[in-house]
Parts: sequence; C-alpha cells; structure tokens
Amino acid sequence: MGIPITYTEQELVLALKERDNQAFNFLYDNYAGALYSIIKQIITDNGELASDVLQEVFINIWRKIETYDQTKGRLFTWMLNIARNASIDTLRSKSYQNSQKNQELPDNVYKSVANQTILMNVDNIGLKKVLEKLKAEHRVLVELAYFKGFTHEEISEMMGIPLGTVKTRIRNALLQLREYLQ
Amino acid sequence: MNLQEYISSGIIESYVMGLASESERAEFDQLCTQYPELVAARRDFEEKLEKYASENAEIPPSTVKVKVLEAIGNSPSRKTSSPNSPKIINMENSSSSARGSGGLRFIAAASVILLVVLAWFAYQSYTQNADLKNKNAALEAKFNSTDSILKQIIEEQKIVKDPNVTVVNMVGTQTAPKSSANIYWDSTSSNVFLVVKNMPKLPSDQQYQLWALIDNKPKDLGVFDATDEKVILKMKNTQKAQAFAITIEQKGGSPSPTLQKMQSLGKTTQTQ
Repeated sequence: MGIPITYTEQELVLALKERDNQAFNFLYDNYAGALYSIIKQIITDNGELASDVLQEVFINIWRKIETYDQTKGRLFTWMLNIARNASIDTLRSKSYQNSQKNQELPDNVYKSVANQTILMNVDNIGLKKVLEKLKAEHRVLVELAYFKGFTHEEISEMMGIPLGTVKTRIRNALLQLREYLQ
Repeated sequence: MNLQEYISSGIIESYVMGLASESERAEFDQLCTQYPELVAARRDFEEKLEKYASENAEIPPSTVKVKVLEAIGNSPSRKTSSPNSPKIINMENSSSSARGSGGLRFIAAASVILLVVLAWFAYQSYTQNADLKNKNAALEAKFNSTDSILKQIIEEQKIVKDPNVTVVNMVGTQTAPKSSANIYWDSTSSNVFLVVKNMPKLPSDQQYQLWALIDNKPKDLGVFDATDEKVILKMKNTQKAQAFAITIEQKGGSPSPTLQKMQSLGKTTQTQ
C-alpha cells in the first residue's frame, strides 16, 4: 500500500537518514550484489569471510548514513569505498594473515605481494576483468593500489619505481579503465 | 589552472575509487565547489562505475541479509533516540516484571484465600466438635436417665413378677379416699417396695410415712414424697406385717404414727 518500488537517489538517501527500514531493504536488494562482488575481488580465497564483510558493510552503512555527504559523491561511491576499505582491513587483519598458513613471510613483504599479484591474473571477475585489458605494468599497479590497498609510497617501494611514476601510471590506468567502462 | 587538463588527469577516477591522497582529495573537494563541470565529470564516472559494478554483481548468500536486518533491528532508530521523543518502555522487560509482580500478587492472594479457607475449616471443625460434644453429653445424659428408668422398670417388673412377692393393695381411708398405693413385699428377703398410685402433694414441711403394723404396733418403714409417683420406692425391710399404713407426718417422719392422719391402709394375708 503506497510502498515505493523504487527511489531516486535523493529519496533513498533522505529515507535512509530517517532510518526507514523499507528504504534500507531496497538499498540492500539493489546494491548487495555489486558490493559483494567488489568484496570478493579483494578477499579472493574465502567466500564465507567475504559474506561476513558484506554483513559488516551494510551494518556500517546503516549506522554511518548520517556521515554520508552527497556533495562529495554518489551514494554508491560512498558504499563502494566502505566495502573496499572493510575488505582491505580484513585482508590485513592479523587473523586473516594467520589463516594464510602457507604464505611465505619474506624480508621484503611488498616485493613478494607484488610478484604474487603479477602472476595472479586468473579467474578475474568484475573490475578485474577490465584490468585484464590494461598493460601489465599498469594492471599490477591498479591491482596493488585498489585491490590490495597499498599506498602509492608502498607501491613505489615494492616495485622499485619512483613515486611520481607510480602516481602517473595509476592515473593513466584508471583513465583507460574508464574508457573500458563505457 | 586548466580545468580540462585537471579533469582528464585521472584525478576524478583516483578520487572516486579512493586512491587519491589526503591533499588531492582536499583540493578536489575545493575545486568541485567552484566548477560544476568537475562535479558533472565526477558524476559521470561514478555512474559508469556503478553501472558496471551492478552489471557484474554477484548474489550474496541470503543469510547475510537476515543477519544484517537482525543487527539493525536492534539498533535504536533516529526518531526514538532523539531527546524530545518519549521515553522508550522496554515492553518485554515491563511485561515480564508485571508478570513477575502479578505472579507474586497471585501467590499472595492465593495465600490469603488459603488462610481464610483453613481458618474457616478450623472454626467449622471446632464448632462442629463443640456441637458434637454437647450433643454427645446430651445423649449421654438422656441415655443415663433412660437407662436408670429402664433399670427401675426392670426392677419393678422383677418385683412384680417375683412369685415370692406379695402385693398389698392399699386403699384410701375416710380422710383421704382417693389415696392409693401398692406395697410389694418380698416375704423371703423382707424387702418392702412402695409404688405410689395416687397421693396428694403435701406441703414442703410434711411427708408421707409408711408403717408396718405388727401385732397392732406400728413399725416405721420410712418416709416418701408424693413426687415419687409411679416409681418403685425401696422402703425399710420388715419380716412381719399384718397391715401397712401411710400417714402424713412432719418432714423426716415421726417415731409413732399420727393415726388421725392415716391416709391409706392395706392388710396383708399374714396373721398374728
């Protein structure tokens, strides 16, 4: 009875800020899949953990909706960054690291991760599929920066590439990525 | 600065995807307030990204939504957490506490009712007991009196039926023609019983006295009252008597009969 089937983004944000459960249901039904996909592209080896992160992400969305600022981007962008940050935090958590028992712990962790990342271009989904179209040197940087959450400084050190070059390459990679999203 | 160069530098993608540094973000936010074109370009990329992500969505396990809704269902909503909103009463707690005190109240009420019932039963059994005691006592008294009467009757019957007992019918004299009594005289045991048939009631200072006349000499056989009517009275024994006589004497009896006041006389078959 009068329950809207769809919301404009403006309506949805207002309803969510009013703690409208109906709106939250709509939000989940429409965005959980997209966010779950990005979480799984970051947490690649543990579906159960990815589900836990998705759960945590939506709870955080509900709790932090007040802090969402429409002037700084779309709702989905905001949620996507929450999902990405939560995934990377999980990836870097001690418990996750401990679960990776067969993972070697070399002197230079960064280099190791970088090497793994270069070799690890199998079974890509979502945005990673687009990455496949990038040049290898670009792809690795986006992989490390976006999907592994390394800072430009960290990548510079890992790859032995100057910080300015890292930044430029990542920007160029993202511009190409944008082209592929068309 | 050249806006077009800035827009195509990759800063938009870097910003939207969360890869821009703090200073880059601050600069971007600042420029967005000045250049709507920049905002439009950002929005364009955001929409593309969202569209692509939605197209490449992966359906999460259905349990996640259940857990999420469960979790947020517990979080207080904005409306109820505002200071002006009415205080939230935890229905479960208040109802359970009401249930608790209700239970106590019920127990208390039940106790009082039980106490009243017990007291009533105690009172009932006490009064019943007292009543029964009274009735029992009354029955006992009645039984005793009946028993004594019965015994007297049995005794009387024995006397009457005893073959050794001689019945002397005493008839009224001229002074008291209606007076009559029977003497049951057991000649073997010398027992004398008197059954008053009809004797007028006497003043309280006077009593009837029974005499045995032996060789024309009176022998005191005891006094009696007229109220002992129809009851066998055991009098003093005598072995001999030609006649029995009843006189009115002063209370307690006299050593010799006042013959003028002889009420009744009966002759025995005994001879002198």
